[in-house]
Amino acid sequence: MACARVPLDEQQVTERDAAGRERTLPALHPHRMEGRCFVPYKPPPDDGCSPAEVEEFLELARFITEDLDWLLSLPHDKFWCQVVFDESLQRCLDSYLHQAPRGLDFAALPSSPAVADIQRSLHRTVFLTFLRMATYKESKDNFITPSVFGEIVYENFLFDIPKMMDLCVLFGKGNSQLVHKMIENIFTQQPSYYRDLDETVPTVLQVFDTILEKCGLQCDGATAMEPLKLNAHQQRTAMTMSLQELVDIILYLCDSTSTIYAFLDIFPAACSTFHSHSFLSRLTSFYETTVPDLEKAVKKRNFDDKRRQEDLWKRLSHSCRKMIETCHLLLHHTCLQPILEGGENTQTFAEELLQHFTSFLPEKRFLSDYDEQFPIADDISLLQQALPLIDETRTSYLLEGVQSAWDSTGRRKQHS
Amino acid sequence: MSPPRLTGALRSFSNVSKKDDFTEQLYDLKTKRLKRRELFAREGLTWHKIVHFCSEHQDKAQQQAASQELKSILLAAKQIVGDEHGQEAIESAAVFLFETFHNKDHVGTEETRTIKQMFGPFPSSAAEASCAAVAKLVAQLGDSHVEDFVQTHCSRHNPQRGSAFGRNIAFSYESYTLDPLEDLPNSGIHEDNVNLDF
Repeated sequence: MACARVPLDEQQVTERDAAGRERTLPALHPHRMEGRCFVPYKPPPDDGCSPAEVEEFLELARFITEDLDWLLSLPHDKFWCQVVFDESLQRCLDSYLHQAPRGLDFAALPSSPAVADIQRSLHRTVFLTFLRMATYKESKDNFITPSVFGEIVYENFLFDIPKMMDLCVLFGKGNSQLVHKMIENIFTQQPSYYRDLDETVPTVLQVFDTILEKCGLQCDGATAMEPLKLNAHQQRTAMTMSLQELVDIILYLCDSTSTIYAFLDIFPAACSTFHSHSFLSRLTSFYETTVPDLEKAVKKRNFDDKRRQEDLWKRLSHSCRKMIETCHLLLHHTCLQPILEGGENTQTFAEELLQHFTSFLPEKRFLSDYDEQFPIADDISLLQQALPLIDETRTSYLLEGVQSAWDSTGRRKQHS
Repeated sequence: MSPPRLTGALRSFSNVSKKDDFTEQLYDLKTKRLKRRELFAREGLTWHKIVHFCSEHQDKAQQQAASQELKSILLAAKQIVGDEHGQEAIESAAVFLFETFHNKDHVGTEETRTIKQMFGPFPSSAAEASCAAVAKLVAQLGDSHVEDFVQTHCSRHNPQRGSAFGRNIAFSYESYTLDPLEDLPNSGIHEDNVNLDF
């Protein structure tokens, strides 16, 4: 056992090696790790699979649960040796984050009670493991120097941006406060994660461009960079691509929009990084271009299985909600919140908010959907209360634009 | 197979994650079973201790009977782990069977699962035989006596070293679910199904 009241990263321990000789080592040392052989996770088998596949999953899940229970029962120093140096543990945890079923997946809840039970148990154990990994101070005797903790988690990839996004979407709904504290703690102790986030956002945007391309809808980047091929008109669209491709695109969209929303909802401090990449305008333009095409394809294409058609519609509609909610989160945290807090640059934030609303005006479908969820008139009213001198001509023009968007979509406003 | 995921794309195409080759699997179930056996063999109870315990509390006639039952357990263990393994592996498996059956009168689902998890598929007759042999031994030695002996030596029954992290943390299983803005409009889905057979 390591000595107390000294951070783990400064502790030394004296132990006997396999040959019985005494040796003194840093408390965090690969020789103190135990060979446990964590197995990588695989998702539960689909309903209708063979009993052997069910049995295999149960065995695998029991192994992982048993190993993680063992890990959680280790003393602080041994836990960190295992976490830092055991590659099989890192792979096991990463495979769970990546492959565990989300509540949004087709078959999120397995129908077999035994499979459901072990999956639940594993879900909790994985969460507790990540929670312990995100905690640099467990008690007054068991702690790591905060800056060293930041280095350890970063240098060993114990957390990275995709993992934190997975944590938000898997555990954030029911455990938002704990997940928020975990992620906030990680970013606070290791600001390099903000740089990583900044590097990640273009890849997120690339995902939306990929969807546009697959639907045969030109994205701005592609138009500017490459000349249009002569046979471009033969490109597949949402109406002509294979049904499986359409399903994959909608599933991808559903997962992507839900994950981004969950991450920003749990960790709003990330909003400014997304905002700095013009995420808002890219997302609204994506919405305007893609949603009507995909909706038309889901409505008009011939589905043998009508339940599949209804499910796809729900996923598409859910994706729309998440895109709108993401836009609202971004506007709220980067413009509205600072205005309401009444800081120094209120006027600048108000100007920025009005500019965003103005930029929405050509995106009529998006604007009417957004206005339905988050009435723009309410935000403008808030602005007028916070800044009585705001240009009324401009706000009237905006509200007329919103009404015009509603008129052009042929829908009637639900709210007054 | 998992559906396409945003974080999968981020792992593959951004530069912020560790690049692992996920096609190369570090450990499979078979390797894991072997590892568990190895770990079990290193823990508290040994075959030698069981043999000593069974002989020290009995007279000669009882010792002979006990010796017979111990042989049966070893034989069953050999059938379960396979002939290719050495005496050490067989004795470790025999300890495992003794621990598993010392307070059971038949081979139930839970015991079958426990043995399978440790050794993989096994002949059920071997499990039955070892269960019967352990039951006879326990009957000779006394239930509470055996229970005390196992509790003293066996780490499987005392897996917690101190209190496990997070035991008191309230965890919610609630997860994000589909929350669509609107249902599929009737005009789209049902117009194809209109019965035109007047």
